[in-house]
Amino acid sequence: MLELSGLSKHFGGVRAVDGVNLKVGRGDIVGLIGPNGSGKSTIVNLICGLFPPTAGNVLLAGKDITSLPTHIRVGMGIARTFQNIRLFGQLSVWQNLWVAQNSDQHRKDGSFLKRWLGAPGAARAEIDRTLEFFNLEKKRDELAANLSFGEQRRLEMARALAANPSLLLLDEPAAGMNAEEIEQLDERIRTLRKTGITILLIEHHMELVMAVTDRVAVLNFGQKIADGGPAEIQANPQVREAYLGSSNVK
Amino acid sequence: MIDFVQTTVDGVMVGCSYGLLAIGFTLIFGVIRRLNLSYGPSIMVGAYLGTFLYVQFGAGPLLVAVAVVAGAAIAGIYVERLCFAPMKGGAGVASMVSSFAIWMQLEQAMILLLPRHTYAFPALATGAPWEFGPFTLRPDQLLMLILAIATGIIVNTIIYRTRFGTGLRLVTSNQIAAHLVGVNVRNVMLGAFALASAVGGFAGFLVLAIDQQVTPMFGMWATIKGLIAMMIGGLGSVPGAIAGGLVLGVIEAHAQGLVGPQARDLTAYLLLFLCLVLRPGGLFGKAPEADGAFSSRST
Repeated sequence: MLELSGLSKHFGGVRAVDGVNLKVGRGDIVGLIGPNGSGKSTIVNLICGLFPPTAGNVLLAGKDITSLPTHIRVGMGIARTFQNIRLFGQLSVWQNLWVAQNSDQHRKDGSFLKRWLGAPGAARAEIDRTLEFFNLEKKRDELAANLSFGEQRRLEMARALAANPSLLLLDEPAAGMNAEEIEQLDERIRTLRKTGITILLIEHHMELVMAVTDRVAVLNFGQKIADGGPAEIQANPQVREAYLGSSNVK
Repeated sequence: MIDFVQTTVDGVMVGCSYGLLAIGFTLIFGVIRRLNLSYGPSIMVGAYLGTFLYVQFGAGPLLVAVAVVAGAAIAGIYVERLCFAPMKGGAGVASMVSSFAIWMQLEQAMILLLPRHTYAFPALATGAPWEFGPFTLRPDQLLMLILAIATGIIVNTIIYRTRFGTGLRLVTSNQIAAHLVGVNVRNVMLGAFALASAVGGFAGFLVLAIDQQVTPMFGMWATIKGLIAMMIGGLGSVPGAIAGGLVLGVIEAHAQGLVGPQARDLTAYLLLFLCLVLRPGGLFGKAPEADGAFSSRST
């Protein structure tokens, strides 16, 4: 589904991502972990094309998308959430989903009339279902800016799913959440797994990563230092050292 | 009292075109969060093309209007490609400085096209002023008011009722998130410059048609009036731009009535000064969103 080969991104002299190879199969849920500053978010930005890589390629379903602009990649089925939330604050909850879904409708059926008439009935029902799944149906007419932090996190994930993506990139979805919210996130990811969607999960919360992923890749200083099943990663001495090392520095 | 009402009405008429100038400015500012100093000169390019057609070929007001709007839109696209498209995010100061350079370039190019200091510009409508009791109303000013309101409604429809307008609002709200819901941000920015410059061009046409003359100072004049009206109304706000334009127009008209024409521009700057001291965000403004268009990308 997703393949990164020799992917590098240098900011000046800093090698934020340095020759990373990673394969994510269709329907897999893969975790990407590593200490702060190890290049996880940079990889997500490279996958969705917010900036070009210094070297290497990004392949989606076997197709090289390295030089495509972001909106085309979104049209090909990539969606993501952000570590620091980026919603359309002046739009309502429902509208936030609608604009995301509309890009999807446009992709499937670019008829001129539909663009002007807005979301047809079936699409509206789909938005309502997504809102219900994220327990946001009571907030549908609130402005996104007025939601609580936890609700905004859920709305961001709902918006990402509204476009009906085949690859979902979650950038620290549990950051700032309490135990109960993380439990709900865990359940939602498990439910999503059944729909066959592919997920790349970037997360610091190890319990969540170990519970929901099929495979985990570990980054340190921009390089991949391990890749394997959750149990295997937990036992890996190199991984332990990377994490302990970073906490010693702090 | 009669003078006061008459002056206020005159001020509203002029204020409408200031409002349109400010709408164009505010659209660009909302999308790129940078000042486009070449905004006025882009309008001047259109104005000079229209004047050229009028002076050389005796074109009528309608054709001149089309030429002014088209010329301004094309100049706006040129400015976006040259100054703003290549500067990704961080290099905002470079964009502003280069838009200042393009200001000079556009102005000088137009002076080469029409080198005299003053040229005649076609009138919007001719006819004697109508009299309503003690009040008078010039038909061309009334027509300007109607056209300005119609333009405002059209712009509002484009922003709130079309796919392009939705994209524009998304980019204004959060540029990176707009990328991620499939908006072609590059095209939206280009469209925003074209739309804004076209609206500004139409405002310029209305103003010039009332004055019936054009000078090389018009580009700077349009930048300054649009900028002041936008800042009084609040950066990035369309209703604010209209309100700012009306306030500016009415107060300028009263200053001219009470003190004389020399007080006009002085009052405009004084108004801007007071606004910046007392209400820096403008009438309708609020502080720019913390997670606005150009917050850091690499986290």
